[in-house]
Amino acid sequence: MDEPRWVGARVCRIDAVDKVTGRLKFMSDLSFPGMLWGAVLRSAHPHALIKKIDTSKAEAIDGVVAVLTHKDVPGLNGFGIVIPDQPVLCFDKVRYMGDAVALVAATSKEKASEALRAIEVEYEPLPVVDDPEEAMLESSPRVHADGNIHHRIKVERGDVEAAFREAAVVVENTYYTPRQMHAFMETESGVATIDEDGNITVWCGSQHPFRDQLQIARALGMNPRKIQVVSTPTGGAFGGKDEITIQIYLALLALRTGRPVKIVLSREESVVAGMKRHPMKIRMKTAAAADGTLLANEVRVVADTGAYASLGGPVVNLAIEHSCGPYRMPNVRLEGFCVYTNNGLAGAFRGFGANQVIFALETQIDMIAERLGMDRLEFRRKNALRQGDVAALGHTMTASVGAVATLDAASRCEIWVRREELKARPSAPHKKRGVGIATELHGCGLGVGLPDYGAATIELLPDGRFAVGVSCPEIGQGNTTAFAQMAADSLGCSVEDIVMVSGDSRYTLDSGTSTASRSVYTGGNAIRCAAARMREAIADLAAEALGAAREEIAFGCGNVTVRSCPAGEATRSARRLSFREIACIAESKGRKLKAEGDFIWPVADRGVEGYFGLPHLIYSYITQVALVEVNTLTGEVEVLRVVSIPDPGKAINPVGIEAQSEGGVVMGMGYALMEDTVIEQGITKTPNFSTYIIPTSMDAPEIETMIVEELEPSGPFGAKGIGEAVCVPITPAITNAIHDATGIWITHIPATAERVYMALRKQAGEPAGA
Amino acid sequence: MREVGPGARTTISFKVNGGAVEVEVSAEDRLIDVLREGLRLTGTKEGCGIGECGACTVLLDGKPVNSCLVPALQVEGREVETVEGLAKDGRLHPLQEAFIEHTAVQCGFCTPGMLMAAAALLRENPDPTREDIARAISGNLCRCTGYHQIMSAIESAARRMRAQGPGASGAGTSEPPGAPVVSEASRREIHSRDSAD
Repeated sequence: MDEPRWVGARVCRIDAVDKVTGRLKFMSDLSFPGMLWGAVLRSAHPHALIKKIDTSKAEAIDGVVAVLTHKDVPGLNGFGIVIPDQPVLCFDKVRYMGDAVALVAATSKEKASEALRAIEVEYEPLPVVDDPEEAMLESSPRVHADGNIHHRIKVERGDVEAAFREAAVVVENTYYTPRQMHAFMETESGVATIDEDGNITVWCGSQHPFRDQLQIARALGMNPRKIQVVSTPTGGAFGGKDEITIQIYLALLALRTGRPVKIVLSREESVVAGMKRHPMKIRMKTAAAADGTLLANEVRVVADTGAYASLGGPVVNLAIEHSCGPYRMPNVRLEGFCVYTNNGLAGAFRGFGANQVIFALETQIDMIAERLGMDRLEFRRKNALRQGDVAALGHTMTASVGAVATLDAASRCEIWVRREELKARPSAPHKKRGVGIATELHGCGLGVGLPDYGAATIELLPDGRFAVGVSCPEIGQGNTTAFAQMAADSLGCSVEDIVMVSGDSRYTLDSGTSTASRSVYTGGNAIRCAAARMREAIADLAAEALGAAREEIAFGCGNVTVRSCPAGEATRSARRLSFREIACIAESKGRKLKAEGDFIWPVADRGVEGYFGLPHLIYSYITQVALVEVNTLTGEVEVLRVVSIPDPGKAINPVGIEAQSEGGVVMGMGYALMEDTVIEQGITKTPNFSTYIIPTSMDAPEIETMIVEELEPSGPFGAKGIGEAVCVPITPAITNAIHDATGIWITHIPATAERVYMALRKQAGEPAGA
Repeated sequence: MREVGPGARTTISFKVNGGAVEVEVSAEDRLIDVLREGLRLTGTKEGCGIGECGACTVLLDGKPVNSCLVPALQVEGREVETVEGLAKDGRLHPLQEAFIEHTAVQCGFCTPGMLMAAAALLRENPDPTREDIARAISGNLCRCTGYHQIMSAIESAARRMRAQGPGASGAGTSEPPGAPVVSEASRREIHSRDSAD
């Protein structure tokens, strides 16, 4: 393969023109003739038995076309990626305020709302289960009949007790993390249509059209082939649209009414019904020898997964996998519990369990370094995994490992090198500055024991361009642009000659999810495979047309030539065919040039017996450094500057990596300082952006991204994945910087002004009240 | 503002992106409903419905407003500008061009509102500081970008518009095919690699 022209270049997003002109139709922008408005009746209680549902008054309203309850679910009345424990429409009980009890379709939004109000549901309220640790007790009321502990994982290696006895330093703390909201800007929205043969199309932003298709088919009791799911474009997802949201409701209403039906969730409904990041309580005990060698980590995680399983089990598994970070840790005892409560719903969210444990671990690391009097960065570098090392779960790190490289780069960045100087100059006498650092590794792909595959299609279009299909949806991360770059270099053409087809179950092959930092690696490898086959097909046709031997065909940019053709421009051009000419020849012969490519993920050399989805073979790495200023009078923390140093393997589109890095930093900053979905007694107290505060342009720090490329040989052009890691270590980098500034340790995030203020008062020996 | 009772419908006239329109509305309708459903101008997005996220930002008589908070009846006789009106005669607005070149767009859902807030800023203040820009778009939430590429794009568009002189609001390059594919730096890099072939 020639040196890539497009891979590694700062390519503008291929979807940007449609997005800046407002031309792009998001699912909430679609409209069809005869379209009805759908709406969902949510539960009136966080936990209650359903005694009776009476829809007669709603049905009688003029303009109401359909009212559906659990009796109208033709197939399995349940969904869920791992186990289908969430009812499509509740029948015996409700388990959270977002539970769906009935659906309506009406001729207008107003009529649909009126119909919802007219449905009479008789409930018998049950005690609300809202404390995960109490929920684990046998005496607790049960959210599900078979108990509140949905999933438990325990991993042991080495001898932690012996290590704790021999250690020079042991630190033990309890950490609390908030229920962060994805806050994608587009709420769950979409339309379902149905044709005269009963084929259904569901247009709804999500992260895996083929799994949506399966879950819809299962609930409808219908052949999945009769259901098309279109998931691109999605107006932000971050994991929050990985599980089914409204797709089944849309399909049920279209099936019942025979008409197009549209649902757009209000922000309040989206907040109450949608996924969140698992709040976790983490007990962590970490030991090191006097020379700074990490010896042991004991971790106990209790995660509040809310009312249903979704991906709660895998999230806790990944929290356990990531709880020792990118460090050699010879002795571990790691235990995780995923617990049902009536506190909303928790599931996949960018970082997938790592954010919580990395916050805890990276705080422990700073505490140990401080106790040993070691430099924080040196301590990390000393213990960082190198290629060939055995990781905490016992698997060998055989793929590319960028832990040391990102730390090395951090040691040279300006805010680290000049940290004492920067700290000495706060903007006001009552403010204090600090610099914090944190690092992590992040598993790419689905891990041991789960089917993880990619597939791509390439078709030569009549005009000489290529249609490249990969199902992993474009959720804003820019994967279609990266795919187009990799396809252009693999085929030998310009990015402008690539037409991407994304996230459509009819026109693409199943390439899995846009999650788990996996889509560029997966889709890229499948594209490489399909492109090689396409080039063979083109070479065959060209050899035939040019009367040359197959081996003589060489690929140029947008064309093929005969390799051995004698010198002289005239002869050469006579023996050159552009892709457009190839397309004409193919058409004249009645042939379509199409190729498919596939790819299976490699996995780690050993799994963890009894569990799936961990560990990983391929990890991305990242170190982030933050400069903060703490107002000691108010407790307010301002993040001034951040240096973000990701190792994504090959940066397919460096400007796209910067985009991910900056967005990740600000999201992780929100997690560190301000974000929490407050749920009291099962009721959400922060249902919109007036009470759930996310960072604005005024909060965003100055961010510099330094990309470190530790090429991964199994990746396309050496790429791994970076979508999740970018939002993870920034959180402890900020809280560690608060410590560096003030001496207080943050063990409970978000580090709001109140929490920081109280901690400062406590440190000064003043009563917390007053 | 016209007096209309609850549920009653009436026709209002106003200008959208320079063209006169007449739309039937009810007292409950918001400007965003009229734009998206009445006029099918779906570029304007709804993100929160309470005026917090800015996705629905449009210009009303040149000033940025959250169209989810403006009663439709209030726009009678006034002038509304939406993202669909930014490009003129098939040529992108310099802000649109800059958003493309700076990767100031990810999922794209906040983009129309962000562009309108920026357009209002540059009309008031053709030479804004980074701080001015941050303040002007602080009512527009974006969950993807981290805001930097957006602010850089607005700075760059401001420079371009100042260089082009007054009245150049819609004088970007034509699109397609003139829309940028790679950033300026990479274009040079790719061309230099091409010529080395």
